[in-house]
Amino acid sequence: MADIVRKKVVSVEGATVRERLQAMDDSAVVSAFLGGEERAFSELVTRYQTRLLNFVYRTIGDREKAEDLVQEVFIRVYRHLHRFDRSKKFSTWVYTIASNLAKNELRNRSRNPLVLFQTVQKNFQDEDRPLQFEDTTSRPDDMYRKRHLREIVEETVAKLPEHHRNVFILRELEGKSYEEIAEITDCNLGTVKSRLNRARNSFAEIIAPYVD
Amino acid sequence: MDCREFCDQHVAFVDDTLAGIELVRMQRHIAECATCAKHDAKIRRALLLFRNLPSIEPSADFSQRLEARLRASHNDNPFVTTQRNLRRGAIAATVASAMMLGYIGMTLYHSNDPHDLLMAPVVATVPEPDFTPITTSAPAIVTSVSAGLTIWPAALFAEQIPVGFAHSSLELANYTR
Repeated sequence: MADIVRKKVVSVEGATVRERLQAMDDSAVVSAFLGGEERAFSELVTRYQTRLLNFVYRTIGDREKAEDLVQEVFIRVYRHLHRFDRSKKFSTWVYTIASNLAKNELRNRSRNPLVLFQTVQKNFQDEDRPLQFEDTTSRPDDMYRKRHLREIVEETVAKLPEHHRNVFILRELEGKSYEEIAEITDCNLGTVKSRLNRARNSFAEIIAPYVD
Repeated sequence: MDCREFCDQHVAFVDDTLAGIELVRMQRHIAECATCAKHDAKIRRALLLFRNLPSIEPSADFSQRLEARLRASHNDNPFVTTQRNLRRGAIAATVASAMMLGYIGMTLYHSNDPHDLLMAPVVATVPEPDFTPITTSAPAIVTSVSAGLTIWPAALFAEQIPVGFAHSSLELANYTR
């Protein structure tokens, strides 16, 4: 009986801590983790895992590898959080790590074309990805058209030059400000705007025939 | 506004970060220039398509895999190791400090104790005189010298002198013992 009561108290305490962490901003959660609250790290993972996964996936185009890279991001965060400059935004720091890892991955691929080929093959065979462009109420031909369209969009993004694609995804998908993108990609503001403009124009140019 | 200026400012126009006057100028240009209006529409439609791409979710075992990797890296984490070493060092230092403080405290406590009074009082006493008689086997030399006699009787005993002195010094040593 006493054990049950104790377990209940512990779980209630855990729930309270989690709720308190959920209510905190990133900076406070980071402080809590550095103060010895291990659960704070889980909160950071919960907040960023999907966003980072989408960002990395759109950048490198391989879902499985994207998951590995996102895990690597969190491991690096875990190991180096004590060195993080807390006067800066945590999200910018995390995205910088993710961006660098994605960049390295693309660089490694370009050095090893076999990897690229395998990755492309895997992507085309992967039928498990969610088809959220579709809804079950649509007619089959609509569903086909939407799936086809989604593939075209993804392929079009993949066709953009790496430094354009990075800026493009950070802006259009993650909604980062120009300043944040400049910090993440280690470019000046003018370069960010210029790359974004080119990326938008290229993307629109490639996708236009399929949309019209 | 010309088309070139429109294109230069188009990023900010799409992101809605232009100042009021600039925004009005851009809108006025679109109303006047069909080419730029078409370009603007093309960009916006394309972006809408991209922004509506389905979001992908982490796989079911993502958290478990991450946890396992974190646990594995936890032991190698220099920060954690340093913290652990610091904690150990701090504990050792605390124990050492406590022992040192205890020792100092004990010393100070006992230094105030009147333990000197517990010892027997020191009483000055005059040493008892030693009445051991001085015995010397060479009285002749002593008497002859102190009596101021002429030197020749001493010369007569000259060959006995070393023996006498030696004997005398031995006796003297016995006396001082």
